[in-house]
Amino acid sequence: MNRDRVRTEVKELLVTGLRLQLPLAEIQDDAPIFGEGLGLDSIDALELVVLVEEQFRVSIPDEDVGRKALASVNALVDFILAERAA
Amino acid sequence: MSTFAGKRVLVTGGSRGIGRVTALAFARAGAAVGFNYSRSEDDSEAGETLAALRATGAPTFSSCADVGDPTAVTQLFAEARATLGGAVDVLVNNAAVTQDAPVMMMKDESWDRVLAVDLRGVFLCCRTVLRGMIAARWGRIVNVVSPAAFVGQEGAANYAAAKAGVLGLTKSLAREVARFGITVNAVSPGLIDTRLVGEMQSERRSEIERQIPLGRLGTPDEIAAAILFVASPAASYITGSTVHVDGGLAMR
Repeated sequence: MNRDRVRTEVKELLVTGLRLQLPLAEIQDDAPIFGEGLGLDSIDALELVVLVEEQFRVSIPDEDVGRKALASVNALVDFILAERAA
Repeated sequence: MSTFAGKRVLVTGGSRGIGRVTALAFARAGAAVGFNYSRSEDDSEAGETLAALRATGAPTFSSCADVGDPTAVTQLFAEARATLGGAVDVLVNNAAVTQDAPVMMMKDESWDRVLAVDLRGVFLCCRTVLRGMIAARWGRIVNVVSPAAFVGQEGAANYAAAKAGVLGLTKSLAREVARFGITVNAVSPGLIDTRLVGEMQSERRSEIERQIPLGRLGTPDEIAAAILFVASPAASYITGSTVHVDGGLAMR
């Protein structure tokens, strides 16, 4: 899978799936997804887990994996690519 | 009545008693309903429940699965998804076991087993069902508790502790998933006229009835009615709550 394409899909998922009121270009690749950055909290993360698992056919089974995978857009892209390569 | 048309319901501990009556009530209200039971010696009772569910014309299944076992729970929900035609919309955590003894005499195994089924089992089923409910942005979880959770029960501290634990789980989860359109509530049945009570001596039964403000035991139908209510659209603004269906037994 192409990294740039996955990155764009992840950002689209954030905006449409989590109903963020901001353009894709404003989502920073390395900024934290949860906490201050986009104004999302750990409960919003549950919905992102479900959406990511569904769209990219990967599994985020628990908090340990989730914390790493959802740290930033780039972390999520890395996670998806690694899981799909495995 | 088709309040639950198009909904998929899973009732744990559905081979007999409150679970069976609840499963049937959902099926009659239009839902596709599955249930589990944990002991193979209950196969014939489970078969009767399944036959009664089939007779309603609703899609249904039963599975021998221990809710205290994470692998079994994963399989149970996969089976539900496959046979009911999609993810579970309404989960009724009814399965429970008892292994009574006064605390001073209680074996480790009795404590652990009751906690494993009655509390951990509810956690495992909730955790598994949530992904589908969050994806659908709708769901109903109903946890069956007991007056023991509120007033304690001599000789059943393990059961009372598990059920009180379920209340904490109910309220915490209700807060966590409210934003996704999922409600989590408890129903607390008092003394219900099931097989266990039927075997009781009449003197003991009368003594118990005198302690109940409404002066009689409840029926499984009365519990099922409350469970269906909290799962229904009529209860859309109720979450983290407990409906006491106990004839006033545990009122404070």
